[in-house]
Amino acid sequence: MRNSLLLLAAITVITAPLAAEGGSDTKGKFFFKKTCKSCHTAGSAAKEITPLSKTQAQWKAYFAAGKHKKGAEKLDTLLKPEQVKDVQTFLVNHASDSPQPETCGG
Amino acid sequence: MGTTRMDRRLFLKAAGLTAGAAATLEVGCLSYFKKGRSATADNREVPTTCELCPNKCSAIAVVEAGRVKKLNPNPENPKSRDMLCARGNAAIKQVYDPDRLKQPMIRVGARGEGKWKPVSWDEAFDFAAKKLGEAKSKYGPESTLWSSTEGFQEVFFKNLGLAFGSPNLVRHPTLCLASVNLAYSATFGTVPSFDLLNSKYVIMSGANRFESIITPDTMDLIGGVMERKAKLVYLDPRFTVTASKADEWYPIKPGTDLAFILAMIHVIIAENRHSKEFVSAYTVGFEQLAEHVKPYTPEWAEKETEIPGKDITRIAREFADAGARALYYAGRRSSWYQNDFQMRRAQAILNAIVGNWDQMGGMVPNAKLPKGEFLFMPWDEPKAPRVDEIEKHFPLAAKGDGVYLKLRENVLSGKPYPIKAWMVYKQDPLNAMPDQSKTLKMIEQMDFIGVIDVQMSDLAWYADVVFPESAYLERTDPVEVMPGIWPAVVFRQQVVKPIHDTKPNLEIVQGLAKRLGLGDYFDYTIEQWVEAEFKDLPIPMAAEHMKKHGVWAASGQPSYGKTLNPDHRFVTKTGKVELFSERLQEAGYDPLPVYAAPKQPRSDQFRLVLGRVGYFTHANQSNNVWLHEFMKENDLWINPKPAARLGIQNGATVSVTSSVGSVKLKARVTEEIRPDCVFMLHGFGKKSKMQSLVYNVGASDAAVLETAWDQVSGNAAFHETFVKVATA
Repeated sequence: MRNSLLLLAAITVITAPLAAEGGSDTKGKFFFKKTCKSCHTAGSAAKEITPLSKTQAQWKAYFAAGKHKKGAEKLDTLLKPEQVKDVQTFLVNHASDSPQPETCGG
Repeated sequence: MGTTRMDRRLFLKAAGLTAGAAATLEVGCLSYFKKGRSATADNREVPTTCELCPNKCSAIAVVEAGRVKKLNPNPENPKSRDMLCARGNAAIKQVYDPDRLKQPMIRVGARGEGKWKPVSWDEAFDFAAKKLGEAKSKYGPESTLWSSTEGFQEVFFKNLGLAFGSPNLVRHPTLCLASVNLAYSATFGTVPSFDLLNSKYVIMSGANRFESIITPDTMDLIGGVMERKAKLVYLDPRFTVTASKADEWYPIKPGTDLAFILAMIHVIIAENRHSKEFVSAYTVGFEQLAEHVKPYTPEWAEKETEIPGKDITRIAREFADAGARALYYAGRRSSWYQNDFQMRRAQAILNAIVGNWDQMGGMVPNAKLPKGEFLFMPWDEPKAPRVDEIEKHFPLAAKGDGVYLKLRENVLSGKPYPIKAWMVYKQDPLNAMPDQSKTLKMIEQMDFIGVIDVQMSDLAWYADVVFPESAYLERTDPVEVMPGIWPAVVFRQQVVKPIHDTKPNLEIVQGLAKRLGLGDYFDYTIEQWVEAEFKDLPIPMAAEHMKKHGVWAASGQPSYGKTLNPDHRFVTKTGKVELFSERLQEAGYDPLPVYAAPKQPRSDQFRLVLGRVGYFTHANQSNNVWLHEFMKENDLWINPKPAARLGIQNGATVSVTSSVGSVKLKARVTEEIRPDCVFMLHGFGKKSKMQSLVYNVGASDAAVLETAWDQVSGNAAFHETFVKVATA
């Protein structure tokens, strides 16, 4: 849990000046699952988080406002700045109000 | 030669479609496993998952003397309803098919000439890697096209295309069900299941579910409609098997279903029969909808649809009275007309206003099960935009699927950039896409074509190299969660070792990746992949359970109404069910479905309508020797009146000619089709001589179908072709 909190806190600090656009959705999914989901899963002590947990605006505001540990912790020991951008891109792209037409398999 | 009604009934029996199977939906029928299964060194029973259609039913393979002797249904899977259809049973013949691909081959003659040289896997990989590398260095990685159809191992193929740097993955949905997926996603934020087993009133149009494909929905229709006597109202220009089982059949004027639905909505709102509670709590845009449908009266719709207005009014009233347990069924394949998205949107809206959302007998959001995930090394995103310009022309469509027909147009024009290499997995674009001559032109302009398939499809016949994939009974695949009213997780494991020099797709992808310098992205085994997926399954000893049982489903009864609480947020822009869609409006589309009368054929023309039959449904199974026994050739249905006018006798050979091509096949003169339509079954008239049972037998619909697509989803519109018919 601590790692995930660190991650999100550091995301807040590092990505404040960054737009959601421009990161890699594919890499963002990888880093989100590898790092954030190591704590934020169903049944764990940390609250479960998925991209659907927030709207696009809420995710952007979340990263900008630094609500996670109020930005007290740094991420640069866990993820590089471009990786944070990737995570933000992934979360915004798949937020609860993002267009997500379903498909068949795949 | 067509099939008879008796044949169909026998088929249903043979397919195990007993009423009891549908009515008995007990999960966890463990008695079978408690009895234990005999196992000796060479005689075993192996639970696995069928791949002969997208339905993924659970099966138990009986192996004797090292050969697959029989396939039985697995009673533990509630989704497959303890049944294995005729097609599923015939999977044995996929393994032991003398026509199947048995080793890698490189073309030595002209494309389509059928001259091949058997080569080693190394030679095949080296050849393909060299060609793909040449395309990349000359035109960039985006000049490669990666086409595939859904399947458990499709993920590896798609990942290879992306890791190679191409944005141009194109999948099957825009040749199948993209419009229905997009319409329901735009309205509810998801595509729900239809609780046909418990519904009281079902309307079906644009789908022929007793006949075209055998799925749990078919089983539930039998349970719900045939056993429980739910009412079925069916619209179709043909008298199909579904029509024969329906309470009411209307031979609707083709392409006018939207008028019928809008008139139903008109009646329900005008008579204040909608669900006020659901509409007020969970939807947005009702006021705009009420105003929008005012002109769409039953009297108006009668002129469009040729369905009596009084019947439309009565059906609307009955539908609203059934309320939560009424369903306008979305069907499966939805690639028919250029307004298909809006027609499906209207269905979704009609369903919403009677309050059938998340109700027993209504539409139910799919429950899911957690599954682990193998985290592979991610690659850089492809830099180029997609060649089909999906963002510009279809901004709301599923980006990962692409838009097939627009893509083909752009490939043929060479704009916005050239496509010079084509990799294809488990798909036959020569039969799946309309206007075969255009696909042949697309083939001509490729510097390289590589195909991965179990059999020599028509597209493979025109390829430069073919990679033979192991049949599903010969390989282990990724684990799959089957979302639904009753979710399940299924596992496909190797039943017998490959009997020819074939490989599973993952190993083919790895062979190519290694030579393309992408090996690090695929540095894992299928065992590592599935072990990671087993980890998060909600089952003790998950790996052991899945290997022993092949499936796991939550016990108990389905639960309804989980999303019916004020805090639930639908995955839409507003968080509500969107009757009126701002997102559609912003994208330049009608925010509410607007009807436009479809173009009609001239007096010397017919509208060509297509269909499937559950023996094979898709073109890739018509060469299966067991299934071929059910139907050996397709024919052209034509009404006796125009047949007499044209001097066409039953069984005579006729030519069918559109603006893009002409085919010949035998005529079936029958009252079971409207006089303004002719009908042809899909999957015949193959070009590949290694489809020996159907090579040049009957006709391929793809040869005469014209290019047309739905404007919002990009879904192919297969019922927009007018043809002339004459004695040949």
